[in-house]
Amino acid sequence: MSELSNEAPAQSAKSTIFFDGVSSRKRQVALTLGDALEILEEGGASVRWAYADIRRADSPGGVLRLACTTAPSLARLEIRDALLASDVTARCVRLDEHQTSRRGIAKVVGWSMAAAVSIVCVVVFGVPLAADRLAPLVPKPIERRIGDASEVQVKTIFGPKVCEGAAGKAAFIKLVNRLRDAAGLDDDSMTAGVLPTPVPNAFALPGGKVFVLKGLLDKAESPDELAGILAHELGHLKHHDNMRGLIYNGGTSFLIGLLFGDVTGSSAVIFASRSVVEASYSREAETAADTFAIEIMHALGRSPKPAAELMFRITGKEGGGLITILASHPLTEDRLARMTKEDRAASGPPLLTDAEWQSLKGICGSGKI
Amino acid sequence: MNDMQWTPIGSEPLPPPLPPTRVDFTGDRTEFRKLVTKGALLELVTFGFYRFWLVTDIRRHLWANTAIDGDAAEYTGRAKELLVGFLFALAILVPIYLAYFLVGIEFERWQGFASTPLFISFYAFGQFAIFRARRYRLTRTVWRGVRFWMDGSGWAYSFRAMLWGLLVFLTLGLALPWREASLERYKMRHTHYGDLRGDFAGNGWTFFKRGWWLWLLSPIAVLIFPIAPFFYAEFKAREWRWWLDGIRIGGVSLSSQLPHNAFYGLYWKVIGWWILLSTIFAFYLGGATLLVVKLSGRSPEQMYGPGRAFENIPLLVIMVVGYSALALALNIVMRVYLQRDLWAKVLETAEVHDIGAAADVRGSGELASALGEGFADGLDVAGF
Repeated sequence: MSELSNEAPAQSAKSTIFFDGVSSRKRQVALTLGDALEILEEGGASVRWAYADIRRADSPGGVLRLACTTAPSLARLEIRDALLASDVTARCVRLDEHQTSRRGIAKVVGWSMAAAVSIVCVVVFGVPLAADRLAPLVPKPIERRIGDASEVQVKTIFGPKVCEGAAGKAAFIKLVNRLRDAAGLDDDSMTAGVLPTPVPNAFALPGGKVFVLKGLLDKAESPDELAGILAHELGHLKHHDNMRGLIYNGGTSFLIGLLFGDVTGSSAVIFASRSVVEASYSREAETAADTFAIEIMHALGRSPKPAAELMFRITGKEGGGLITILASHPLTEDRLARMTKEDRAASGPPLLTDAEWQSLKGICGSGKI
Repeated sequence: MNDMQWTPIGSEPLPPPLPPTRVDFTGDRTEFRKLVTKGALLELVTFGFYRFWLVTDIRRHLWANTAIDGDAAEYTGRAKELLVGFLFALAILVPIYLAYFLVGIEFERWQGFASTPLFISFYAFGQFAIFRARRYRLTRTVWRGVRFWMDGSGWAYSFRAMLWGLLVFLTLGLALPWREASLERYKMRHTHYGDLRGDFAGNGWTFFKRGWWLWLLSPIAVLIFPIAPFFYAEFKAREWRWWLDGIRIGGVSLSSQLPHNAFYGLYWKVIGWWILLSTIFAFYLGGATLLVVKLSGRSPEQMYGPGRAFENIPLLVIMVVGYSALALALNIVMRVYLQRDLWAKVLETAEVHDIGAAADVRGSGELASALGEGFADGLDVAGF
């Protein structure tokens, strides 16, 4: 066919090399630019590439490297002569069709933005909704298992001992039972105990275990103070806040991690954005638990105010030495103000007698920890 | 005439044995810097999704500008493959994470923090990912119209890596050279270029002899910080040289004259940049806080009190923006020095012997999927 072409074989000073994509043999070739690109090896057969099938392949500077969509996928033609290269380039109209264009990049950016927006929407609206709906549906045994696992961890941190003073325990159970009845929680859903550690804290674990730490008991000056805190923890149990938090935290970390991928190589951004979203979520849960505590205390005819005073005594003004129970909680000042507003004169009997209260304070033995 | 096929007629005489051939790197540094700068910016606005395109562009640049015996290599992998690989890996990793979570709970019930060993299973998975990611990259590496490829099993490799890892742990790192030799042997013996099979001739003892004193003196480097980069650079240079010296593919062998102090400059430049950028970041944060204090009239204690720093939205935005800019700049610095410059430095001292053995190799091997790269990405063990 080449003899029909009216163009002379394009000879060049610099060599043109052809790899057939089947073997690694380097072939010196001459090109003929006819109605298709003809590649002629000295003393060998020739290959024709239609111009429309020719695509550019990656190459170092000064070399034009071509591939052909209808040839073996790794066949390459390397043109080192600039003049010949521009000749061939001019004929291959679809040379760069397969490269990532500006439009391609814009598409990537656009879709990433869309993905980001939808992930943010899911984090802000979807996950809280899912957590609220799913948490009450988590079967009790599973909740209890997670609670057991956390209990083992709690005991690894604070020591395995639980305070067992007989009279103190009886008083504690009496107090907890009165609160539980008022809260309308199932009989089997809750066990509670005092752990001998100076940290002033209390927490509820999934599945219904409530722990009071000795430090809190020491700071408490009346049964009502302790009762308010316990009622607050019962509120968390009633609202399934543990499971909600678990689903919510797991969901948000996963989604935000997915969103940022490894762009920063570390998780500072993820941590920061998570903190903002989660802090507001957890503040809501705390406020709800406070509301619950206020209701119970009223139902028992006691004032919720002493509990807030106890909290205030522990935290001082916000920003003092921090206590875990109050991290991501509403400001203690605000809670005190709210509970003070709900303050009512006691209309019900005291929750514990003086003697019971004294034995509860001494539940861990002689005050030594 | 059949224009679909090339049928060679007759055969050229094989070229006579040649003196060692050099490996040339002709990449333009400015071009690379522009490439990674643009890439890093796009990575930021796409929340990291652009990383697949950037990584692909970096490889294409490095491969295409690396010439062995006058012929440049080519990287034929594409970003979409990486994206799909990542999505597949995600589909597999998510249930595994979930199972990990549930199994972890059972372990914790039995004994506090007993689930920690489960991390080991993720390490094993990471080793598997490293092997499979290497396979993907190799099958996208083309030289003279023939691709590299790999067989072997990712799990077998992972198993070896785990056993050797245990040994390295028990010997406080002394067994590291033998671990590297054994793993490299496994990888290279399953590496092929067309119908040539790879091998690794390096052994642990040689590596040990080159670096044992580094191991002995490493406690000093931990104590005196400015020595540590020298130690690391020294170790890396010796490791690279030993690795290159051991590589065989068919009759072709590699050797390297990489000087032991080759990387000193690189690491110190990165540290210098790091210090400079962190200082700027610190000043920026300080200035921004002052500004917010002035405008809002609140005291710094109020803003940085426990649990409060994250509640101030304008300050948070300023922090995130500054942090992203810092991460971006560091990313560019790392890629320019530790990928491009290191690559160029290593290659300029490498020599190839008996390249004639690769003059007429028949192509073979199948393309591997990018699933391994996806795992490596998902588990954060990705290499180049």
